[in-house]
Amino acid sequence: MIGVLVTLILFPLVGWSLGRRSIGEAFLFGAGITGSLLFIAGVVHVPLVIALVLIGVWGASTAVWQLRSGSRPPSMPYPRFATILMVFPFVALTFAAAITPLNDFDGRAFWVLKAKEIARERAIDGPSFKAVTLDPRKNHYPILIPLDGAVILGIAHDFDDRQLRWFYLGVLAALALLVRERIGRLVSPSAGAWCAALLVWIPQFSVEAEGGTLSAYNDLAIAAFAAGAFFELAEEVSRSRDLAVSPNRRDFGAIRFGLWLAFLVLTKSEGLPFAMVFLTVGAFIFRKRVASSAIVAGIAAVALFIWRTRIPPGDEEDIIRLLPTIPQKLHNVRAALAAFPRHMLLMPHWGLFWIAVIIAAALALRHDRRNATLAISVVAAMLAVYVVVYVATAWVVSDLIAVTADRLLMHVIAPSLFLLALAARRVEG
Amino acid sequence: MSGRWLTRIAAALLFVSLAASTLPRLVAIVNNARTLLPLPYEARRERQMGPWYASVEKLRRELRTNEPVALITSRRDIDSAVFANYYLFPIHTRLFVGRNAYRNAAPDRTRPAILVAVNGSHAERTEYDVLRDRDLAAGPRIVAEPELSAPMTTFVLPLAASLDGPSPHTFLIEATLANPNHVSAEVRVTFWPKGLTRTIIIPASTTKTYYDFVYQLFGIMNSGWMRVESSQPLRAAFNFANRGRGDATLMPNAVTDATRIAPAPLHRDTKLFVINPKDTRATMTLNGESIPLDPHAFISRPIETLPTISGDVYAFVTTRELDGRTDFLWPAQ
Repeated sequence: MIGVLVTLILFPLVGWSLGRRSIGEAFLFGAGITGSLLFIAGVVHVPLVIALVLIGVWGASTAVWQLRSGSRPPSMPYPRFATILMVFPFVALTFAAAITPLNDFDGRAFWVLKAKEIARERAIDGPSFKAVTLDPRKNHYPILIPLDGAVILGIAHDFDDRQLRWFYLGVLAALALLVRERIGRLVSPSAGAWCAALLVWIPQFSVEAEGGTLSAYNDLAIAAFAAGAFFELAEEVSRSRDLAVSPNRRDFGAIRFGLWLAFLVLTKSEGLPFAMVFLTVGAFIFRKRVASSAIVAGIAAVALFIWRTRIPPGDEEDIIRLLPTIPQKLHNVRAALAAFPRHMLLMPHWGLFWIAVIIAAALALRHDRRNATLAISVVAAMLAVYVVVYVATAWVVSDLIAVTADRLLMHVIAPSLFLLALAARRVEG
Repeated sequence: MSGRWLTRIAAALLFVSLAASTLPRLVAIVNNARTLLPLPYEARRERQMGPWYASVEKLRRELRTNEPVALITSRRDIDSAVFANYYLFPIHTRLFVGRNAYRNAAPDRTRPAILVAVNGSHAERTEYDVLRDRDLAAGPRIVAEPELSAPMTTFVLPLAASLDGPSPHTFLIEATLANPNHVSAEVRVTFWPKGLTRTIIIPASTTKTYYDFVYQLFGIMNSGWMRVESSQPLRAAFNFANRGRGDATLMPNAVTDATRIAPAPLHRDTKLFVINPKDTRATMTLNGESIPLDPHAFISRPIETLPTISGDVYAFVTTRELDGRTDFLWPAQ
């Protein structure tokens, strides 16, 4: 019970402390800020409990002030049927999450275990992280989400993973609400509502045992933070059109963009290349202001590197070191290139979703070239990065693809849904 | 057809393609949750993961949270050990892939003393020698066709051991006891210097074999010598084997004191062993020095050259060749 209360109250409050925003965005922003600040506090050896108390007090006080004084986001006329369709899986998933114990692989083997260790040791470089063992524990994995988990476990005074089930469900709900609100604002409320409904009905997000919302994988969080970053870019494209009308308007979009990138960096190893892809694309959109995004993301990256130097590596792959081995692994290229097209067509995971996205991309390019190019470039660049990783891997590439490709496709869900929305607007005229 | 209808049809198709996969699984997930609902939370986990989880849960109740635990598993059961670690939290665990990984960590002071063996079907608290015995029982004996002695009723086995050296060296006695008589034999085995005694019955015209005689009989890992006393003449073969290296040496069944060791090349780790098989004190002379020995004594000391030795004792020398094989220099009887 405490787990659900902390999930529903603490993270949105911290999210609202930096400005009035929708509940979905506030939850994701709050989870990102809480985890990032605790991580940086841990790196500079500020006791995590003190840091958490400060975050809580600051979050609660400023959020209440923001909610009282800030302007309320305009409500949008979402279609009722799409909203019902969106809510339906959540009712079922909430019932299941409340009753069914966690039963995934990575969540128990790595992520929740790290959350428990941090909650016990109240440090991010305690004995569990410093022990040189042969345990397959992926010591250098970023730990933003385990830190959020540790907050929940710590406040609940309970190391049982049942306290964390709500958090992962919350991430999917927040992502759906973020998609609904942002696509609603950027394209149309109807498109936003339908995209959100589609999202929660994608098997890979809702019911898949490895990576879905009933598991404790971090791919859902990466998808959510990447969605936040992507929508900042899309908003900026839209805003730059409006600026022609009102050029004096100022915005902190670049800073928010940088914060989403920082969350990506601190959530999963893929987050760093993802942030670099976003920064590259963002440079064309934010222009000089992208420097502030880079500084914010850079602080997170530096903190991550400092932390990694203090703890021994685990059994995770060092892709940077593997890159020079690519010329000897060209036999992997074929399997790597075929990986995503093959998994995009897996009906039990994705239905017709990716076929629809590819058609939508072609349609959107003709109607809204700038937005479509933005979305396609993010999706294509990120999948290209993953293909390079597949080529360079020391694993048996087919095994790695089998267990990761569907989860990696989750990361680019927001630009893909955005393409669907753009195409729908184009067809509707 | 208008664009609006085209969009609706496309969206409906897409939605149906997703729901066709998601809805049945969502129903299955909810039905599963409904069946779990009446159970306590731990029982739900047990229902999900079966007897394996029940065994881990039992361990978590038994083990103390402040004592670290070594999880011993095989390469193919690493996942089970990782999840055992997860469910044993907050107990500190350390994973060892294979018994040898644990024994090789012996110099590490932080090596946990409590052992838990984990595989895909269960996890159980155990002892190192139990795991060792399990491994040895599962493997083949080194000497498939032992060379049996002439029938004897009483003799001394000058070296009896069940010990581990650094991996893979595993020292033990492979024993074969054949009763060629028409009546069953009662065999009394005494392990000295501890003085432990076991009696085994060998039915008429049957043969008993042991892959690790000392451990199977006495349940200990130790070294010493043995007196074998049988009610009927037995044919026997005792091989000192190194299971890790796959070599074995036939041991003599000694009946008298003997100290005259013929000169032979000595290699490395050379040791002189002396036993006093009598129930009274004995005196040996080693390179001119007189040394008293307690009854049933078993002593060893490193040597560089073959010593001059005499007295009412039994003496022999071991030396290790460069390839790791142990050579025995037995005294002439």
